[in-house]
Amino acid sequence: MLEIQTIRVAYGAATALWDVSLNVGAGELLCVVGPNSAGKTTLINAIAGLNRVSAGKLFFDGEDITKLAPHRFCDRGIALVPEGRRLFTGMSVRENLELGSYTAKAKASRTQSLEKVCALFPALVPKLENPAGSLSGGQQQMVAIGRALMAQPRLLLLDEPSLGLAPSIVLDMFKVISDIHAGGMAVLLVEQNVTMALQVAQNAAVLEEGRIVATGTPDELLAQPHLRRAYLGLDAEAEA
Amino acid sequence: MKKSLLLVVVLTLGLGVIPYLGLPAFYQSLLYMVFHWIALATSWNLLSGYSGYFSFGHGAFFGIGIYTTAVLTSQFDVPFLWTLPIAAAMAALFGVVLGVISFRVKAVRGELFALLTLAATFVVATIVLNTPIDGGPGVYLSAVPVPSIGPSPSATFYYLALGAAFLTVVIALLIYYARFGTGLFAIHDDEDVAEVMGVPTFAYKVAAFALSCALAGGVGGVHALFVSYVTTGDIFTVLLPLTVILMSVLGGTRHWAGPAVGATAITILLYSFTSGDSAVLGKVAMGVILIVVILFMPEGILGGLLKRFARKPAAGPSAADAARFGQASSAGGATPSPSAAGQAQGGPSGKAGTQGHDGGILLSARGVSKSFQGVQALRGVDLDVQRGEILGLLGPNGSGKSTFINVVSGHFPLTSGSMTFDGKKISGIGAHRIAGCGIARTYQIPRPFAHLTVLENVALPAMFGAHQLERRRAEFEAWHWLEFTGLADRAFAVPEDLNLHQRKFLEFARALAAHPQLLMLDEVLSGLTPSEIDEAVALIQRIRAQGTTILFVEHVMRAVMALCDRIVVFNQGEVLAQGLPAEVMARPDVVATYLGKPAESPPQPPEPAGARAYA
Amino acid sequence: MNLPSSTLLAQSILAGIFTGALYGLLGLGLSLSWGMLRQINLAHFALAFLGAYLTYQFSTSGGVDPLLTLLMIIPAFFVVGLAVHWVLTRFKITPFNSLLVTFGLTIIIEAVLQWIWTADYRRLESTYAEHKLQIATVYLPVPELITLGLGLGISLIAWQVLRRSDIGKAIRAAAEDAPIAAAFGINQQALGLLLSGINASLAGIAGVCIALSYTLAPSQIYSWIGVVFACVMLGGLGRPMGPIVAGFVIGISEAITMAVASPSWAPLVSFSLLIIVLLARPERIQA
Repeated sequence: MLEIQTIRVAYGAATALWDVSLNVGAGELLCVVGPNSAGKTTLINAIAGLNRVSAGKLFFDGEDITKLAPHRFCDRGIALVPEGRRLFTGMSVRENLELGSYTAKAKASRTQSLEKVCALFPALVPKLENPAGSLSGGQQQMVAIGRALMAQPRLLLLDEPSLGLAPSIVLDMFKVISDIHAGGMAVLLVEQNVTMALQVAQNAAVLEEGRIVATGTPDELLAQPHLRRAYLGLDAEAEA
Repeated sequence: MKKSLLLVVVLTLGLGVIPYLGLPAFYQSLLYMVFHWIALATSWNLLSGYSGYFSFGHGAFFGIGIYTTAVLTSQFDVPFLWTLPIAAAMAALFGVVLGVISFRVKAVRGELFALLTLAATFVVATIVLNTPIDGGPGVYLSAVPVPSIGPSPSATFYYLALGAAFLTVVIALLIYYARFGTGLFAIHDDEDVAEVMGVPTFAYKVAAFALSCALAGGVGGVHALFVSYVTTGDIFTVLLPLTVILMSVLGGTRHWAGPAVGATAITILLYSFTSGDSAVLGKVAMGVILIVVILFMPEGILGGLLKRFARKPAAGPSAADAARFGQASSAGGATPSPSAAGQAQGGPSGKAGTQGHDGGILLSARGVSKSFQGVQALRGVDLDVQRGEILGLLGPNGSGKSTFINVVSGHFPLTSGSMTFDGKKISGIGAHRIAGCGIARTYQIPRPFAHLTVLENVALPAMFGAHQLERRRAEFEAWHWLEFTGLADRAFAVPEDLNLHQRKFLEFARALAAHPQLLMLDEVLSGLTPSEIDEAVALIQRIRAQGTTILFVEHVMRAVMALCDRIVVFNQGEVLAQGLPAEVMARPDVVATYLGKPAESPPQPPEPAGARAYA
Repeated sequence: MNLPSSTLLAQSILAGIFTGALYGLLGLGLSLSWGMLRQINLAHFALAFLGAYLTYQFSTSGGVDPLLTLLMIIPAFFVVGLAVHWVLTRFKITPFNSLLVTFGLTIIIEAVLQWIWTADYRRLESTYAEHKLQIATVYLPVPELITLGLGLGISLIAWQVLRRSDIGKAIRAAAEDAPIAAAFGINQQALGLLLSGINASLAGIAGVCIALSYTLAPSQIYSWIGVVFACVMLGGLGRPMGPIVAGFVIGISEAITMAVASPSWAPLVSFSLLIIVLLARPERIQA
């Protein structure tokens, strides 16, 4: 469904991603893990159309979307849950959700989508008219996911959804993501919290300093020394 | 600088001859207006062009000068020439009051400052209009005797205006080359960073504002008698600041001569088209020129010309400087050579720094808390940094590491707790004083001064940091640090032309040039390729070898392991663990923080929607 | 100070409301440009005066009812707004530089106005000016009532559109976080052009109102700048009801000052208020 072919993406003056290739099949849940500043957010933003791809190609459902204008990505079926939520804080929860379904196609089924999101996140129902900025971190994350679901996507992009959330809420969050995936959605998840991410993923890739250094199923990756080295530096210490 | 000064003096003397040439009165009036606008535009530029605080209140200070002279001469019979310094002083006084009030409020920058000064103009105008200062009908000065300077009364005004223009331009030139000017330009590019590097931003802004107002007031005083009838309606308008801005932007706001060039061009343009239809043409031309310049030549005519024809400067410190400053190094003063640099760590405290971990605590934080609008970023952090060590600061995103650095450097004031550095309390003093104590930092996303060259960027902290060097000495030292970090061949480039790796090294050079005892590095390796990281690690080891203590926020684990003597792990604003790297990273709670807590049970099959209530 | 009679006070307050309505109408376009598009459009005032002069001309020499000129002015100015926005975004002009560029445009428009209509004062004689309503002892002149109606009406419409319609929400979202808005299909450039066109039309409408009530001279453009910027800032950038509410506050305070003290003290109140708000609550003014 999503095909990334050796893309290079710049972040400011530097190249943040070098020759990255990935595939996400229909209904698949792929996790990309890696240390901070490895380029995870740059990668997701490139797929969502926010970052320019300077070399390589992006294909979605066979269509070359490399040069597509940023506001057209949503129409194609790609929805983003950004890092740090990035809700429209000046607007109410309901308005944020409605804006998720701004595209014509999503707008047509806005009411049904809203019902589904409310069913998925009942805690939001009493807060619908509250300003989005007044909600707690966990609730804001729910709104961000809900907003993306309102766009009726076929590929859901999640950028570090556990960031800044208390551990118990993180647990709930990943349950929701798992549920959404179980409903047939293709999901690309980028995460710092490796343990949780690998529990829900079907496939995973490790991104380090802008390059994919490993891919495979969660079990395969946990058995490899890459993660331990990338996150804890313990191998290097053992060599010293 | 001396050549420019000579040029100005010669030009002024040359212009001084004109009244004796017997030209038609039109030319003398035209030149009066040219000098008048040169003085007004250049004085405006002192604050607004140099520091970036665009004032829309220049009309107010011009008007205060006008009315001071008008009232003193017509009501109190003070001789005209005596009123001029008084007019300047009155305007300066108002400028200082307004400046102190507005610069205290951090949010008042950019458009807000512009609007504040514009509003001040109307307030002053109303007060002048409604009190006996003017009262309504305006003030007539036709009865005031015009002192005779030169062959005719109109020559008097010619010379007064020429004098005002000369004075203003010379002041602008001197400031441009002085450390005051460098500080103002740094404020323009990034005020917060300038403050953290030791530039006393508040004092400089108030001083520039006062000077700008004083000169405008003086010009006003002269103009009062020239027009001999003054009313508030013509003076306290938005048109005067707009014109002055137009002239300065056209000529180039970053150069001392820019406003003069712009003022000359616009005045001549406007006065060449004086009759009927062509007056309209002149104005249209002026509007078109302004639009074209902003769109295509934002640095102004002078800026654009200088860029194109600038000479390539020498590629290293001059032999004369090396001789002069090289001598000083053997005398044991603040020196750049690596082996003797250990002694340079003495700093203002007077104690010589030590090499290696000689014990002694350099920085101590107790109970440091910081909250932003209800978000608690730091909670009661207790931390000690030993002299001469490399201390690593680790933790997930949002754990408070960068906030801690920002609080230590003075970027943010702390909410509670205290910090001492080298025995002195540094919590609560201004950021530029913290810099003066010997603390320097780099920024995760490099924040160089965009309009200064690489060399000037590195020289600035040397000029304003702990050692307060004068410019030439500071630049000489800057060369050393550029060589140390491998940037010497890019000394005259602007930061925009550097790639990320070079900008990061520029951050290093800048921080080192302040000769800090404590260097704080904020994620300095992020975005670098593996080989660049190796170079950076080597550089950091060289820096430590000089005796500098280093506080190192980082995520790249192999660098942390290779460099740090001890590490501290932050989590959610608190210190989670401290100690030797291998020990700390083996602790289960640290592992959990980094890799995340495993779930208590594997994910359940999808539950009916709505069955769970979420927090 | 001489305390005025209740009639005089009432009439003054009404005069303040009418003036405030015009400040609000002028300020609306400016506030939306600045708050939503980050462009400080000084030429807004010059455009308004262009509209005023066109109204004057069509009415005086063409015999066209001033309100009917709106039919022509609104679309024509819309196009002008599109053009200005296109240039500003094409050259990626910073907010402050947009002030300077539009100042250049103001100079050009002012010069053209002066060339065509000279610096002489022009006054539109319309049938509206001959009529006024009377309620008890106070008079409500029809031109001013038209201005009040238009100002209040348009502000309310703008407020509701921004608040409830999809496009309004999209504009607000794009103003807050353009990249994320784009991620949900919001085309910021297209919306910006639309908004800019509308703002320019608003300037034209304000111009018609100016022509109905005021004597015109090209230099008058500058005398409105200060007080309207004050209304825009006090009302909060980007808030559609802000300029008109602030306009009422300023207009009424000016009018009362004029009645109680002398007319020339009026600016002191509004600008002192602005200075105080700028220093005490600067964040309130941000977009």
